[in-house]
Amino acid sequence: MATLLVLLTIGLPWIGALFVLLTGDERPKLQHAIASIFSVAAGISAIVLLWFTSDQSVLSIPMGSVFGVFTFLPDALGVLLAVIANTVGSLAVIFSIDYMRGNEQLGRYYALVMFFIGAMAGLGISGSLLLMFLFWEITAFCSYALISFHNDDPKAVAAGIKALIITQLGGIGLLVGALIINSYVGSYQISVFLAEADVVPFNVLTLLAFCFLAAAIAKSAQVPLHTWLPDAMEAPTPVSALIHAATMVNAGVYLVARFFPVFEVVPGWTTSVLIVGMLSALLGALMALVAADLKRALAYSTISQLGYMFFAVGVGAVFASQFHLLSHAIFKALLFLCAGAVIPAVGSRDMRQMGGLRKTMPFVYTVFVIGSLALIGLPVANGFFSKELILEEGFMHAPMWAYIGMLMGVGLTALYVSRMVFMVFYGERKGKKPIHDGLFWMRASLVALSFGVFTTWLLAGVLNDLMAQTLPFHDVHAIGTFKLVKEIALAPATWISLAVIALGIGTWILRKSLAGIKDSLRPVARLFENGLGFEHLNQGIINVTKNLSAVLHLTQTGQLNWNILGIVGMLSVLLALLFIGV
Amino acid sequence: MNLSPINICLLGVTGLVAAGFYGLLTTRNLIKVVIMLQILVKAAVLGLIAAGNASGRQYLTQSMAITVIVADTIVAVIGMAFAIQIRRQVGTLDTNELSSLRG
Amino acid sequence: MLEALVYGILVGAAIFSAIQSLRADSLLRSAIWLAGVSVLISIVIYLLGAHRVAVIELSVGAGLVTVLFVFAISVAGGEGIGERSLIPKPLAWSLIIFSGLLLIYFVLPIKASISTVSETSLATVFWQDRSLDLLVQVALIYSGALGLVGILAEAKAPLQQSMVDEFAAERELALHDMEIKAGSEEDHPIEPQSKSS
Repeated sequence: MATLLVLLTIGLPWIGALFVLLTGDERPKLQHAIASIFSVAAGISAIVLLWFTSDQSVLSIPMGSVFGVFTFLPDALGVLLAVIANTVGSLAVIFSIDYMRGNEQLGRYYALVMFFIGAMAGLGISGSLLLMFLFWEITAFCSYALISFHNDDPKAVAAGIKALIITQLGGIGLLVGALIINSYVGSYQISVFLAEADVVPFNVLTLLAFCFLAAAIAKSAQVPLHTWLPDAMEAPTPVSALIHAATMVNAGVYLVARFFPVFEVVPGWTTSVLIVGMLSALLGALMALVAADLKRALAYSTISQLGYMFFAVGVGAVFASQFHLLSHAIFKALLFLCAGAVIPAVGSRDMRQMGGLRKTMPFVYTVFVIGSLALIGLPVANGFFSKELILEEGFMHAPMWAYIGMLMGVGLTALYVSRMVFMVFYGERKGKKPIHDGLFWMRASLVALSFGVFTTWLLAGVLNDLMAQTLPFHDVHAIGTFKLVKEIALAPATWISLAVIALGIGTWILRKSLAGIKDSLRPVARLFENGLGFEHLNQGIINVTKNLSAVLHLTQTGQLNWNILGIVGMLSVLLALLFIGV
Repeated sequence: MNLSPINICLLGVTGLVAAGFYGLLTTRNLIKVVIMLQILVKAAVLGLIAAGNASGRQYLTQSMAITVIVADTIVAVIGMAFAIQIRRQVGTLDTNELSSLRG
Repeated sequence: MLEALVYGILVGAAIFSAIQSLRADSLLRSAIWLAGVSVLISIVIYLLGAHRVAVIELSVGAGLVTVLFVFAISVAGGEGIGERSLIPKPLAWSLIIFSGLLLIYFVLPIKASISTVSETSLATVFWQDRSLDLLVQVALIYSGALGLVGILAEAKAPLQQSMVDEFAAERELALHDMEIKAGSEEDHPIEPQSKSS
């Protein structure tokens, strides 16, 4: 049964992608229908898989001695990722029914989105490092193809290439790590590696730990490799919601969480993860504060929240990080989809040209506020519980400076979220009158996500249980939902952070009186708007890669004689090697 | 030096392979390329039969040699068809110019 | 000793023919020298004991393929084989001689001679043990025939301009209809590119 579910979870979106392509772009209604039905079916199959989690592999495909065995192991970490990918994916697809109406290349869009959803589910469920790398690469490709979806726009294409190069360079770290693991442990299976990690000599283990960390940083857009995410906002908004907020960027968090038990003994690794998380949380929040483009602000917010998850793994709270991953996926997708409703209605992505939409778009306003409550971390929404759990763990286990940093991040989050809500929905209307207040399917998916915001925190106990049962190497203690909630609500850290949140919101409300401070901080703000110089670093990486490929392009002349020269040359090299070996 | 027939055949394989590869390296005419490929395949067939004799599994290598001959004939046929059609459409058989064509 | 001499002469002649084929002036001579290589190789194969393969090699290699080449050369060939090669000849020579010498180094010590047959019969091996090869050969021949027909097909006549105009006009009408039906509400699916940050 579990085998069938795993196959359905990964296979249904892929089959749906194939059918959408085969239907052709002349029948858009059929394409919308096929995509929605298949993605919803995949979502249901992923949720049912929750009942069948286990710590044994349920499907093994032997691939010969070189590639090992491709196994699928639906344990709690993986199934969580699959459930998020499939359900949020299906909601994004439903949203796209209205968002992408009239687009001529619907087949390409839906096929890529569904292909991505299946690959993301596979990334979580796979039990072999090589299989995980395969799915990792598929998600990177789909992300690139979807960012440059409007491929007649050079900005979109450049953003896609940038995302591709940065995440792929991280992927090299993953591949190298997988090969090293195989050579020492003898198998690509993650469970085998986690069990027998002491076979690996210590310096190699350190190298492995940091290779994987680099891959995770690149994929999750953490500092210093974060600049691809704001630029990736050129993608159609459902894509931004799905890929760049709810699923693909979680792959990095998943990676560090999965390998935490092995790497925590490497000195400096957990501290590095913690520092990366803290820096991203703070920098993301600061850059969101000065961003004028709504989607860019949300992208910086994603970077910041992912920093919280990295911080949680850094202090050893794997469950907290996964819980926040779940909450964040839902409320961030919600916020992005609201942006997807607002932006076409108003005709601009610039928040300075929005305003006063509270009266003309009441539905979207309500839903956006719900998402903001979750993002800030106010007690009714799921974001409160997960973020407070992280802060509580941080209070108990992290060095004090790190905890203070994260606390400042909480305040800054409250500040920039209030700014976003105010600039878009309050004040006087500056731009055009919005055309609609969310079309039918848009509203459907927004309602579903809002429902999720209020209810997924109840699943904390279930998630905790599943993780304790199916993750033999992580040290997860199972406590029930009620105890968890009580613990969070009564912890001192919670009260401190609620106070900081109030401070943040208050700062925004009283901004006129604080205008003097704001003016003096203006040059600092300009520094943040330009990305603090990280942009140059990332652009440098891109340029080096492009120049290198231009140089290597010269060897691919296409001339028959040069190709034969390559063949004969290799032949003589091999013969010489054999000769020397003799 | 006592050279057995098998040795001589293998030396022959080496010589033919060298000639075939040299031809592939230096020729620019498409038809000449196909001729050189044929020489290489004949070397391979000779090598197969000689190896079969040396190892005792003669019938196995003879069956494989028949398959290889069939395959290389098809290659020659398709190669010639390409050469004829390219000559008609593009006008030149120079591999240098053909590789820089676009569409 | 005599046996080795015979083999040596035949193999030497085959290599000589191959080299002559390389250096021939016209494509036709090249193809004829190729036929020579084929004949000599088939004699050697016959002497090694593989009678059936030798016959097949002779009839197909020296017969069919040579006729094919002559036909193709008469239709398509004719000029331009005297041009300079892209790769400098000394480089090619040295690489080939280097690999050749290494190969000879590996080949010479092989001490083997014609041993006795250990299998049942060619027929059983060919039709039963290697039946998958037969399938491959059938598929190859079929695809070769199809490929031949496809490659040598006449190019389709380009569509006349009047029909092209007709298609374009139809497309215009269809687009216009779609715009009217969509109305004003759902008409802004793609977000505009005005971004400032």
